[in-house]
Amino acid sequence: MSIALSESGFDSITVDVVRHKLDGIAGEMQQTLLRSSFSPIVKEGLDASASLFTVDGETLAQACAIPVHLGTMIPVVERILKVFPLATMSPEDAYVMNEPYLGGTHLPDIAVVKPIFANGRPVAIAAAMTHHQDVGGMAPGSVPTNAIEIYQEGLRIPPLQLLSTGRMNETLVALIRQNVRIPDTVMGDLNAQIAACNVGARRIGELVERLGQNLVPKLFAILLQRSEERTREALRLIPDGTYRYVDYNDNDGIELDKQIRIEVAVTIKDGDFHCDFTGSSEQVRGPFNCVPSGSLAAACFAIRAVTDPDIPTNAGCFRPISLHLPEGSIVNPVEPAPVNARTATIKRIAGTILGALRPVLPDRIPADSCGEMLAVMFGGKRADGRLFVTGELIAGGSGAGPRSDGVDVIETDVTNCMNLSAEAMEMEAPIRIHQMSLRKDSGGAGRQRGGLGLVKEYEILEGEVRFTHRGERHFCAAMGAYGGEPGAMAVSTIHRTTGAVEIIPSKLVTTLHAGDRVTIETAGGGGNGPVAARDPAAARTDIRNGKISADVSTV
Amino acid sequence: MPRSWEIGVDTGGTFTDVVCRDGTGVFHTMKLPSSRSDPSQSVLASLHRLGEEISLVPQDISRFIHGTTVATNAVLEHKGAKIGVVTTKGFRDILEIGRQYRRDMYEPIIEPQTPVFLAPGQMRKDVAGRISASGEVVEPLDEVSLRSAVDELVDDGAQAIAVVFLFAFINPSHELRARELIEKWHPGLAVSLSHEVDPTFREYERTIATAFDAYVKPVVDRYLHRLETGLAERGARAPLQVMQSRGGLMAGSIARQRAVRLFLSGPAAGVVGGCIVGASAGAPDLITIDIGGTSADIALISGGKPLVRSEGLIGPHALRVAMVDVNTIGSGGGSIARVDRSGSLKVGPQSAGSEPGPACYGRGGEEATVCDASIVLGYLDPDYFAGGTFKLDPAKAREAVERTIARPLGLSVEAAALGIHRVLNTQMAEGIRHVSVRQGIDPRQFALIPLGGAGGLHATALARELGIHRIVVPRLPGVLAAAGLLAAPVEHEVTAAFTQPLASLDLAAMRATLSELDAKAAALMKAERIEPSAVIVSYHADICFIGQSYSLEILIDPQRPDLVERVYEDFLLAHERIYGHATRVPAKVVGLRTVHSAGGSGTLDDMRLPPSGGEVSQAPRWIWVSGRDTPVEAQVLNRAALTPGFSFSGPAIIQQADTTTLIEPGWSGVVDAAGNLVLDSHPEAL
Repeated sequence: MSIALSESGFDSITVDVVRHKLDGIAGEMQQTLLRSSFSPIVKEGLDASASLFTVDGETLAQACAIPVHLGTMIPVVERILKVFPLATMSPEDAYVMNEPYLGGTHLPDIAVVKPIFANGRPVAIAAAMTHHQDVGGMAPGSVPTNAIEIYQEGLRIPPLQLLSTGRMNETLVALIRQNVRIPDTVMGDLNAQIAACNVGARRIGELVERLGQNLVPKLFAILLQRSEERTREALRLIPDGTYRYVDYNDNDGIELDKQIRIEVAVTIKDGDFHCDFTGSSEQVRGPFNCVPSGSLAAACFAIRAVTDPDIPTNAGCFRPISLHLPEGSIVNPVEPAPVNARTATIKRIAGTILGALRPVLPDRIPADSCGEMLAVMFGGKRADGRLFVTGELIAGGSGAGPRSDGVDVIETDVTNCMNLSAEAMEMEAPIRIHQMSLRKDSGGAGRQRGGLGLVKEYEILEGEVRFTHRGERHFCAAMGAYGGEPGAMAVSTIHRTTGAVEIIPSKLVTTLHAGDRVTIETAGGGGNGPVAARDPAAARTDIRNGKISADVSTV
Repeated sequence: MPRSWEIGVDTGGTFTDVVCRDGTGVFHTMKLPSSRSDPSQSVLASLHRLGEEISLVPQDISRFIHGTTVATNAVLEHKGAKIGVVTTKGFRDILEIGRQYRRDMYEPIIEPQTPVFLAPGQMRKDVAGRISASGEVVEPLDEVSLRSAVDELVDDGAQAIAVVFLFAFINPSHELRARELIEKWHPGLAVSLSHEVDPTFREYERTIATAFDAYVKPVVDRYLHRLETGLAERGARAPLQVMQSRGGLMAGSIARQRAVRLFLSGPAAGVVGGCIVGASAGAPDLITIDIGGTSADIALISGGKPLVRSEGLIGPHALRVAMVDVNTIGSGGGSIARVDRSGSLKVGPQSAGSEPGPACYGRGGEEATVCDASIVLGYLDPDYFAGGTFKLDPAKAREAVERTIARPLGLSVEAAALGIHRVLNTQMAEGIRHVSVRQGIDPRQFALIPLGGAGGLHATALARELGIHRIVVPRLPGVLAAAGLLAAPVEHEVTAAFTQPLASLDLAAMRATLSELDAKAAALMKAERIEPSAVIVSYHADICFIGQSYSLEILIDPQRPDLVERVYEDFLLAHERIYGHATRVPAKVVGLRTVHSAGGSGTLDDMRLPPSGGEVSQAPRWIWVSGRDTPVEAQVLNRAALTPGFSFSGPAIIQQADTTTLIEPGWSGVVDAAGNLVLDSHPEAL
């Protein structure tokens, strides 16, 4: 018998075997990266990703990190390969960059890229990207809400060699250490990134040893082709056409009265997926500009969300994507526009693409989620002079599905950050949390109800605190679908010990004093279907469990 | 002379396994169907059967040890007690909010991610009373509102109350007072306190651990009560002992108070069973893979001890209670193979289960499974499945593989069947690698122990995939967990939060905390009626770099004068082992733990089955193996008849009533003195 060898010299089963191995390798890299990183944002926010690429710079396998990183390493690897052609690389080299205008995302996201060699020839590329705790600039944490130029946001690293045949580029390391606030943490996280790449290199080396140098590139090509075919096949099930949607973010933190418009026209045509952002706002003064890698990440997420989750995630899934990003707009800013807060924009872009496709995929896409990731940061001095910095990222409600209520306080679309436990925050900083509860009546009413937002109340116990609040959905609610109501908008207030009450206009940097309290209420998700069609039993359960007030349900 | 029997009974979903021994080399094993509605019935039925089979008299039982799935099933089937949760004012929704994290990132329509079923909003109340991060009482406990909260919960049907106050792990006074009051107001109502169940910071994780404890406590209590009563009625005087998730035993009376520690009772017994096999074969570092019909359980044993993690999973929920590091993956003998439209072969996670079962069962299963592939390849004897009690239909197996896999892929039936095995083996090997890498272990240095009905069929392929050179197939893989019960020590572990930088560690405070923990653990051991002189105590510290939030458990000797240096160096080594790097930056202690352990043989040397006699060899079979284009002739051996020292080389098939072992070419085997089948690879012979 023959094992049905194909023309390429291997059987189709080997392709599946390699696919599982690649998933395992990417997972092992990711595990190394997450567990050994130092930045709290990596561990609580899972803000780090590991990937394998082909030598042509196409994604081969990616571990389950957060979707915002899905596409973002593609332009980085592309840039590194352009500056340092493959032929000039040698084993034990590694490269580093974070420059958003050359393919990066924002400055805290530093990428490490390492070629993988077998028998003296390059066979693949390993890459790891980590959100570093601080990369210098005008504010601790390197995400200044009031930045108006990228120069204020931190150290900009163009494509540079980090390791040369295994030796650290000490000049570069010294420069990085000199420019960041907590050099040991940055270096610890960079080491974790190198370790993750090394894991990938070792395992891919073993794979090549077993399967042969010539076979491996062909196998990779087939894997990508299979994912592309299955993705296009899924896209062909969507009726050809152009689908439009518009949503808004609150403001750029500088010009507080100006909403940011995200408009998309998604064209599905014979398995192609084109997103045109014409009609979106001009680039903004504040740091909410989104470099092209961000829109690509949003599109990569959307295409995975509307196709079969079983399809192995690799560059094949992304080949149908094309983007039109008008220059000088919020989705393709011109240097030196600040970009550090672009996550809010990417989340809205992802939500808009899904919103555009909802009419043709009503069973797959829920009503709008609040898509809010509120960032609050507290930095100050205790009474005894010790410094502290703490903060967290807080979600709101998800949109109601066609058959299920939205989920309360849950991360959606391109991010997946954990909140900070109240106990963890109180142990780190002189802050007391008085409340952390579901926000009654905040879910958009409907046949299926939107998810609820969160109410959280902080009290400053000591000294003077610099407080940063970066919200969304304060001025523009998450819309319902098919007659469902919008979710409640976010509201945040400061209660001063003086008795003064201040409403936070979505974005704010201010000083708090001992005794001042901040209450944040995040937004709810949109409802799905007319509220009149809601099952009365479900409404009664909601009342019993305190999710809605009695009077709201009886309306 | 009266005999003295030790009995281990492990209840699984399908079978209840029993092993008993009298200490003089006489032992007996038994398998009987589990009673789904009341598992204690099958445990008690086993006593009756033992009376019939070996004239065992309950009065002669000196130890009765039990592994149970009752806690796990209560959670998985949502059949626990109705509970109420009482929290600090403002935090009643913690259980539902969770960490705002979703498990499935690309699914746009999200399902609830937290175990809200434990206590929906109506069953959660908050009361005023506040403790600060440094343990001071900032606001006294509002006993009036506690009363109305608990009364309302009881009126709404609560059978148990979980009390979770912020920072109770630093100052438990409010939680202790709450229990005192609740017991006064509602005598007999079960109460779980968060600082006792999980004395560690992060309120969500502590809340669900406490809520799970309350949820299963009444169920476990009723179950163990029925069992103890039943045993007493039959004249058994030995106290009941139960296996805990971390691999040690505890008295039934204590288990009822620490119900949350029973979730991995059965799997933990299996891992201890794996330790016994390793010890008898001289292999202290082991990976066990228990392959059943729908899933496979992977566990690691290092230096003869099961690896324990400080948190595990119950269903999809992370539970912060120490348990053996057993990991389940959705691949098994019944996993269904399918070809998708891009021509990719997928195996699992869907499974044919037992109804309709694989196509070869002839019960209407249409899709090809791993089991069907094993028939096509000649590994399984259709007439000798489950010891010949159940005939398989090879034509149906072949037809299913041909129709659903071979034809769509343009392969021969045999190549398709080999493909199913290759894909499954790759998935399982990656699963094993994932588990070992997480523990910083290189699987190549470990021996593989295949367990379960299907383990033996995949062992050599998995070992090859992982670079493992030795496999140990136990003589009685089917009752290994029950045997593990007999070999396990009695063990109690007590933990406390303790946060200090290593550099400025207050040794006196640390030793004081450890002696408090020792006093609690000693009280538990005393309740087990164990002599203090028999107790072995070990101390552990949870350490992390300052700034990190995951800690590593490091064994410590609190009396060492150079404790701080030693702990730091050991931590760096462990970090290097697990994460591949360690930088000499400051570290801190975040928790302390004492483990009191007594007894446990670690081996069961007296449990040897004599060879059955009879024919060693059966008619050889032609089988298909990976990497060969033509079938090879395999000798077929009867496991029960093999005598110690018997040796052979692959290709071979070893048949026994409860499993079949495939030995591919390139492996040789020998039966060791304990009756284990020890397989070694000879890659050069390939």
